[in-house]
Amino acid sequence: MVPYSSSLSVCPARCVSLLSVAVMDGEAPKAGVSWDSGTLAAVDRLRIERADSPTPGLVEGTEPGAGQKSAMFVHVQSFEDLTAEAVEEARRKAELEKSEGECSEELKVLVTEKTLEERCNHNISTESRSKEEDVSSEEWRSHRKHVFVLSEAGKPIYTRYGTEEALSSTMGVMMALVSFVEAKKNIIRSIHADGCNVVFLTKSPLVLVGVSQSCQSDRELLRELHYIYYQIVSLLTLTQLNHIFQLKQNYDLRRLLAGSEYLTDNLLHRLDRDPALLLSAVTRPDVVSASLQAAKAKSLVFSILLAGDRLITLVKKKDQFLHHIDLHLVFNLVGSSSSFREGEAWTPICLPKFNMEGFFHAHISYLEPASELCLILVSTDREDFFNMSECKQRFLERLSKRSAYLAMKEALKCPSYPVAQVGIPELRHFLYKSKSSGLYTSPEFPMVYQSDEEKERLMGLYQNLHSHMHHPNRPLRTFYRCGETENLLAWVTSGFELYLCFSPLGTKALAVSAVTKLLKWIRKEEDRLFILSPLTY
Amino acid sequence: MLMISPRMASGVQEKQYTPSLLSFFVYNPTFGPQEGEEEKKILFYHPSDVEKNEKIRNVGLCEAIVQFTRTFCPTRPAKSLHTQKNRQFFFEPENNFWTVMVVRNPMIEKPSKDGKPPTTEYQEEEVLDTVYSAVLKECYSMYKLFNGTFGRAMEAGGVELLTQKLEKFFYRYLQTLHLQSCDLLDVFGGISFFPLDKMTYLKIQSFVNRVEESLSLIKYTAFLYNDQLIWSGLEQDDMRILYKYLTTSLFPRHSEPELAGRDSPLRPEVAGNLLHYGRFLTGPANLKDPEAKFRFPKIFVSAEGGYEELHLIVYKAMSAAACFMISASVELTREFCEQLDGLVGPQLTLLASDICEQFTINRRISGPEKEPQFKFIYFNHMNLAEKSTIHMRKTASVCLTSVHPDLMKILGDINCDFARVDEDEEIIVKAMTDYWVVGKKSDQRELYVILNQKNANLIEVNEEVKRLCATQFNNIFFLD
Repeated sequence: MVPYSSSLSVCPARCVSLLSVAVMDGEAPKAGVSWDSGTLAAVDRLRIERADSPTPGLVEGTEPGAGQKSAMFVHVQSFEDLTAEAVEEARRKAELEKSEGECSEELKVLVTEKTLEERCNHNISTESRSKEEDVSSEEWRSHRKHVFVLSEAGKPIYTRYGTEEALSSTMGVMMALVSFVEAKKNIIRSIHADGCNVVFLTKSPLVLVGVSQSCQSDRELLRELHYIYYQIVSLLTLTQLNHIFQLKQNYDLRRLLAGSEYLTDNLLHRLDRDPALLLSAVTRPDVVSASLQAAKAKSLVFSILLAGDRLITLVKKKDQFLHHIDLHLVFNLVGSSSSFREGEAWTPICLPKFNMEGFFHAHISYLEPASELCLILVSTDREDFFNMSECKQRFLERLSKRSAYLAMKEALKCPSYPVAQVGIPELRHFLYKSKSSGLYTSPEFPMVYQSDEEKERLMGLYQNLHSHMHHPNRPLRTFYRCGETENLLAWVTSGFELYLCFSPLGTKALAVSAVTKLLKWIRKEEDRLFILSPLTY
Repeated sequence: MLMISPRMASGVQEKQYTPSLLSFFVYNPTFGPQEGEEEKKILFYHPSDVEKNEKIRNVGLCEAIVQFTRTFCPTRPAKSLHTQKNRQFFFEPENNFWTVMVVRNPMIEKPSKDGKPPTTEYQEEEVLDTVYSAVLKECYSMYKLFNGTFGRAMEAGGVELLTQKLEKFFYRYLQTLHLQSCDLLDVFGGISFFPLDKMTYLKIQSFVNRVEESLSLIKYTAFLYNDQLIWSGLEQDDMRILYKYLTTSLFPRHSEPELAGRDSPLRPEVAGNLLHYGRFLTGPANLKDPEAKFRFPKIFVSAEGGYEELHLIVYKAMSAAACFMISASVELTREFCEQLDGLVGPQLTLLASDICEQFTINRRISGPEKEPQFKFIYFNHMNLAEKSTIHMRKTASVCLTSVHPDLMKILGDINCDFARVDEDEEIIVKAMTDYWVVGKKSDQRELYVILNQKNANLIEVNEEVKRLCATQFNNIFFLD
């Protein structure tokens, strides 16, 4: 295969290549990765206390799905754990000095890249950026969820709806509120009105504000803002961000991010629809890691194989961990653009949970033009394009030799299943996550939840359950809600998390028996649900 | 309130602070529109010793928050602001008059080693918005009960009179707030009704009719027994706040001396009337005293097209209390009070012992009391009826609950969930401590049950609650 363009690996175009891959896929991509579940809670405490289980003697690591390879995906500190993060970063700094050294250079490139916007404009999907809205209209106000990003000088950087220009005074007020409370050595968290809440997140040099008109809890909204923050960092690195605002406090960051808004839009879209985001889970275990493992190179840190919206395998350098937030940002990048299909792309990418300060360089390519399978090779060396390209070839050769490729493609054909397969009457939908392996499974959305509105409503219900179960001060073991439109059951043990949705006709007795039956079914179907069983050499 | 946590045993002394009132203020943004006149907006500020500019800044923040929230929901005003250290609650009871209450989050102070200053950790998820929003609203309702609306004071004497009234009322009232013991019952603000058989109920009704007929000055009457309401002629919302005043302020003030024992100096002088046990809780302490003053507290209740001002006479005999309300335009004299005492005293004494007897019989019939496996709170939005077996006794100073505060907060969380949708719902949760908590909302009624059956499963818990509904509530809840 001919490299995308050797010029892509040359300096100025590197950031551009990332920012200009802007053609959106029509369909909403599903995420494969998500948050660490016990985000705010004391995880250790919960582990100890949550000892009960539907099957006696079931301990962590033996629940259905636990048998799947777990080492491939390691949960690092969750995002709120900022002190730990700082320590981690310091440790990694040394290792990544090389890429860090490039940052200042890259910054220059970026700052002088005045024509960036023009270059990107033709690529931006107009559909996704229907921003020309009257920001004083009822229509604008009634959007279910607003997200704003601004600089500490109060300059608008991003708004989900409407234009930044029209909202500059609103964002100015937001910044004023943040600084006023800060001046009293305090931190603003949120504002509440009936059925509406505004959540603030200050992440110097950025301020993020989310407004929810649904009943989303502050905690849920906050984790989404964190995601958006990392999305922006992944494009620029924190070092660059800080540097830019140190040089010019009221710098208009939109100049650098122009053309990348679709990534944020897309991410927000995923956050609203994808159950995987709620659980810290991925849908696929290790399959072809052996082949990937063999295709190694000195500077190669991570090899990631995706199938559309799902992770197939991830191979990492010894002692390195890829946080699921980073992985999800990679998903979002790949899933948000179809231009990666055109050949081999070579793009700088910052993985903020790994290192906020520097860029990695990612080789992104699909295994076959029409295939769902996308390979991402993350390297520390910006001159490594040809090396990575060669790695990919080696991987393909090995894969085809062992006929694993065919088997994998076969399995990918039927990734989802209807809930009826489980054979539990009145059961409409469920989410199951094995805690030790971090894998999750969930059937297709049933007919009742097919519309976007209903899908989001169901997700909202799950989010609410999740929020109750993982309350930082008073977590719960079981939650059962019986309402007029559906009955819901949530169950968290040391081994798994289970969320079930029944028709309103389902009784409590049915719900209880459904849990046992479903767990049995999941264990039986384990190999298929968590897709392929690992191949061996 | 400061509590020393049990962890001190491990050698590290931690100090735990419960939520407390940081400040409370009333402002009207239209009163000082010019720059430099911002102080005029502030009508009341507690604590009063806060520096002027600081007051102005804090009011300014509230104005900004309210204004900013309108960007997103013009019809629904801001209700609270969460910050790391505190929560602020906003309430606009009358057009442009804002009341604000700032509550400090509970915190844990941990001493650090090497002589550094202790670190403070704020517990940001502990305070429930619904509870303190309700407390703030109640502050206003209580002010209004004794002073009428803010607007009324403005009409009568302008800003000067209003600030005087606010100062006088809130200075004392805020001291009686006990924020650390507020919970779901404050959200409901309900009335506990005394369960009674038909015969006794009719006796009470005819008593009320007789008194109102003989003393035609009386406009409204309310009858209570054991701090529980039996009969009221007032509008529900007026009775709700009057009930709150009676049960958390007036009655406890008078019952504490009674409990003090015969020889205690606290014990009130017996009026010397051996025919009955009746006495005035408001107004004259002793009718025989030639110096006695016949002044009663004035209250404001809703009337056609506005409010009416009334004298509040509270008269008590043993456990029975009758409230008589008379138009404030009438001057109450010694003769009237003697007439009332002579008429009501003997009858009320008799009625009180009747009710007591009936109550004891009923209790005997229902069998010996076993320590039940459950505790519950019930509230009916239609008649404000509330019942709690969780709260032992609610006095002015303490609210004793028999369950862990975390469980009370889970009840609060469930209540918030119920408030979000206007449909019948049921929620059953199992806490980390293995307690089960059940919440049911059906047709304006809410029931919360805490079950101490650690090994029960969902189905057994459901059966248990069904039994409870059948015995205690005549199957009000049908939702399965």
